[in-house]
Amino acid sequence: MRLVTTGALAIGLLVPALPAAADPVESGPWTSYEPTFTVQERGCGDVNDLTFKLSCSTGSGDQRAERRYATYSSGTRQFEGYFKITSLEGTRISLKQTFKTTGPFFMLAVERGGRLYSVHGGDTIATGATIGTTVRVNTVHVVGSTHRTYINGSLKHTVSSENGSFYDKFGAYRTGSGKGPATVEWSGIQFWRK
Amino acid sequence: MRAAPVALLLLAAACSAPRQTPVHLTATLVSPTDITLRWEGREPDAAGHVLEFATEPQGPYTILGFLPPEQSTYTHPDLIPRTPFYYRLRPYYGQASAPVDVALGAGPHAKPEPGWSAPRTIPGGPKGARPVRSEGAAPSDLRAIVTQADGVAFRWTDRTSDEEGFLLEDRPSGRPDFRVVAALDPDVNAFGLVTLPEESRASYRVRAFRYGQPSNVAHQTTGGS
Repeated sequence: MRLVTTGALAIGLLVPALPAAADPVESGPWTSYEPTFTVQERGCGDVNDLTFKLSCSTGSGDQRAERRYATYSSGTRQFEGYFKITSLEGTRISLKQTFKTTGPFFMLAVERGGRLYSVHGGDTIATGATIGTTVRVNTVHVVGSTHRTYINGSLKHTVSSENGSFYDKFGAYRTGSGKGPATVEWSGIQFWRK
Repeated sequence: MRAAPVALLLLAAACSAPRQTPVHLTATLVSPTDITLRWEGREPDAAGHVLEFATEPQGPYTILGFLPPEQSTYTHPDLIPRTPFYYRLRPYYGQASAPVDVALGAGPHAKPEPGWSAPRTIPGGPKGARPVRSEGAAPSDLRAIVTQADGVAFRWTDRTSDEEGFLLEDRPSGRPDFRVVAALDPDVNAFGLVTLPEESRASYRVRAFRYGQPSNVAHQTTGGS
């Protein structure tokens, strides 16, 4: 594994100390980068830095608290992040999406108060999660080939990928059959490409 | 002559030095992308172990599971290829409350208070003052209220002053042992669980806990494509 750093990390030396940056996973060489993002708050969604909250139990409408990152359309992209569900009375809240600009592509959701993880289409990929513990997510997206999802280091989902334009989103978002309230804390967000 | 004071100092230093880690952890690559962990040694009064992994030696470490004290092996499957994996094991200590039995039903259910499932501290209770590893330190007065067809609200009395958190444990009907279902912050004394189908009948208990010394760090690098 070989890591190529960009100027953005060098600039990071000038800002207050942050937790040590992790290395990417899978074979490299990977280049660390920092895509821009916008914050999306809709309905009862609220974003405070990396805490994403849906304050209502409404089972309809657009209830969203997410970060939407910049679009990419080529190469291989890796996302790493850690989430902790601090509260979830409802179910089927999307935590992480790899979104195709023409429509949904990949969605990691949480069900039953944080105890099940599922993907777009409803397939359960992990059950019996321990509430209150931090969960690590790595996604590797080879545009035009495949999208792999690792939960706590283990491969849990693979789906083929068409060519096109995609972007990463994470936070808390009510899926079509879901409802809050929910509070999710994310940390350790990093991106790489090759 | 200064021999006696020096000897006393050496003895005192030996007594205050960290003791040897009693658990030795090994990691074996059993396939290109599967790692099996095994450990030897056991803290006699540990309530269990927490197994953690990282992909860098300094972490951050992520919890893979809370394991019962008698367990001594774990397989981490289907791993990220060509990636270093680091593991450590930490014992945890503390006494569990008396269990309560819960049977879910169709209702009617009492309307729960807003935020019933959030981990929280309900004020007004006695302030716990006992060390986690002392006699009588188990949480007491555990109460369970069914709030919905798949939800149970719990409250308990915190009797400890130095806990690193609380563990809610359950034993679904037909299972032999309790397992950890939620890890909660220190001073929390209320929490609500949305249940799984297998938990329509289950026993629950809560434990105040502290971690012990971590094991050695075991390491393997995966292969695969």
